[in-house]
Amino acid sequence: MTKRYRGADTDAVSDLSLEVLAGEICVLVGPSGCGKTTAMRMVNRTVEITSGDIEIGGTSVTARPPAQLRREMGYVIQQIGLFPHRTIAENIATVPLLLGWSRERTAARVAELLELISLPADVADRYPAQLSGGQQQRVGVARALAADPPVMLMDEPFGAIDPINRERIQNEFLRLQAEIRKTVLFVTHDIDEAIKMGDRIAVLREGGHLAQYATPAELLMAPADDFVEDFVGADRALKRLALMRVSDIDLWEAPLAFAGQDTAEVRAKLEGAEVPWALLVDGERKPLGWLSERDLAAVRVPQRPDISPDPLLDRDGVLRDALSDLLQSQTHYAPVVDARGATVGILSLAVISDFLASEEAKVEEHPPTERPLG
Amino acid sequence: MLGFVLPLLAQVQIREAGSGATTCEGKNDAFCPGFVIDNINDYVSPFLEHIVLVLASVLAGFVVAMVLAIVSHGRRWLIPVFIGTTGVLYTIPSIALFLLLLPITGRGTVTALIALSLYNLQIIYRNANAGLANVPDAAKDAGRGMGMTDRQLLWQVEIPLAVPEIIAGIRIATVSTVAIATLAIFAGAGGLGEILYNEGIQRDVFKTNIVFGSVLAVALAISFDGLLVLAQRFIAPWRKVRAL
Repeated sequence: MTKRYRGADTDAVSDLSLEVLAGEICVLVGPSGCGKTTAMRMVNRTVEITSGDIEIGGTSVTARPPAQLRREMGYVIQQIGLFPHRTIAENIATVPLLLGWSRERTAARVAELLELISLPADVADRYPAQLSGGQQQRVGVARALAADPPVMLMDEPFGAIDPINRERIQNEFLRLQAEIRKTVLFVTHDIDEAIKMGDRIAVLREGGHLAQYATPAELLMAPADDFVEDFVGADRALKRLALMRVSDIDLWEAPLAFAGQDTAEVRAKLEGAEVPWALLVDGERKPLGWLSERDLAAVRVPQRPDISPDPLLDRDGVLRDALSDLLQSQTHYAPVVDARGATVGILSLAVISDFLASEEAKVEEHPPTERPLG
Repeated sequence: MLGFVLPLLAQVQIREAGSGATTCEGKNDAFCPGFVIDNINDYVSPFLEHIVLVLASVLAGFVVAMVLAIVSHGRRWLIPVFIGTTGVLYTIPSIALFLLLLPITGRGTVTALIALSLYNLQIIYRNANAGLANVPDAAKDAGRGMGMTDRQLLWQVEIPLAVPEIIAGIRIATVSTVAIATLAIFAGAGGLGEILYNEGIQRDVFKTNIVFGSVLAVALAISFDGLLVLAQRFIAPWRKVRAL
């Protein structure tokens, strides 16, 4: 579809074509003025389409009066836009009331939603001004969900919230989305938010041109051009790590040693091992520490090793956080443990960089072919 | 013009101010409570007339102002037209306006009400207009985006959000009308002017009536204002307000 404003020389959104899969979060991301908000607003026709069409489930959005169409789409905006003169409950009930729901049904739905966004029931009778910004935006989301619309339009919904609360509310929304599986069109200018929230990301450049439409991992591994690469940022390797868990990559085998073991045995194990240090573990394979040269100079492995095993990495932890821990550690190696604390392998800087390099190569050899392109 | 006013004044009821120079009212002291108590019945009907003048003219001004505000809401070019027109009406001195209306509507309450309503029109229209203009864009965007029609947006979001400003306009209009309505006497419409201007213009100022008439006017203004504040707390509980 295309949007050209009256009197403008160029299109605000030019020939943009996207297919958003049902139940997915599609993020429109790009620098300011790239037309991402305009594109989103064409979906609920708060901005009219100049040419082209938008279909939802095979029906054109122009087939019905805009007001009717919009009642079937959740709408969340950065400024939140709660009605200051209506209580929280009344705000949430906005669309149900427009749809003529009964009082009982509406009240039940409001109560259900307040629970869903984990706000105490007693906020129902308060006014928006009495809530914090984060709470207000939760209400904004609840209001958008009130009539259970299949489609949600979210325009920088968490942009005005402080970083700590933003993180929290993003996680909440992702948890919620895992349950409710709405088809979400999510606009942001923040690539980190896009990567975090998106099942698929459409990177737009000035004039609403689609620069790339891909999953977050694809976007980070194989930016389509310099613009996307630039936009994704120089730290895209780190961003990829943020999408993965420690268990997603192949770890080095840990040269394990047990207290009282013959040090000759341990030294033999170290020959040809990727890790130049042996890790002392207890009977349950829980790491006790690294053995130093001095430790190994003795005949038997000592009870207490010279070097602390910290940091211990959780195999379910985010890879990026693990990398951060590694960089701060003395050894640049760290034992990875499972939920019970038992050692499952060793993570090192080399493991991570090898992994990034190999994945990079793999993607360049086999570019994802099944991208719904525009 | 004066020749036109004097016959009007001649119609004003002239009250005996007192008989001898020995009484309080005879000496025309600052305030004679005894005189007021003795003649309290004479103050009742001017006071009630005044209340009616204020209420009726504020109500009329409010209704017309709201109609104008809603009409000009979707047609922004009308706003300067309405502000200009009502503004010009507002600048006409009240006695002059009474006299201008006399040949058309004659002497009496109707003339006074028309003039007073025209003044209220300007104040309330400006406020209603500002109230509608100050509705946060985010609330309008959200309302529209959730599927409100223009009419639903107006009645469910914009007007309710403009209520505090509209009531602020009504408060200003009411208080100033309490004062201006004392001149309704010159249109032959009674009111507190009957007490204030009784004899005063023709002879010595009768201080007791000036003081008591003023007290009644101020009391009325404060009471109306208090009632309006209460009304706002009831209609717009989401917005805190203070009385005069």
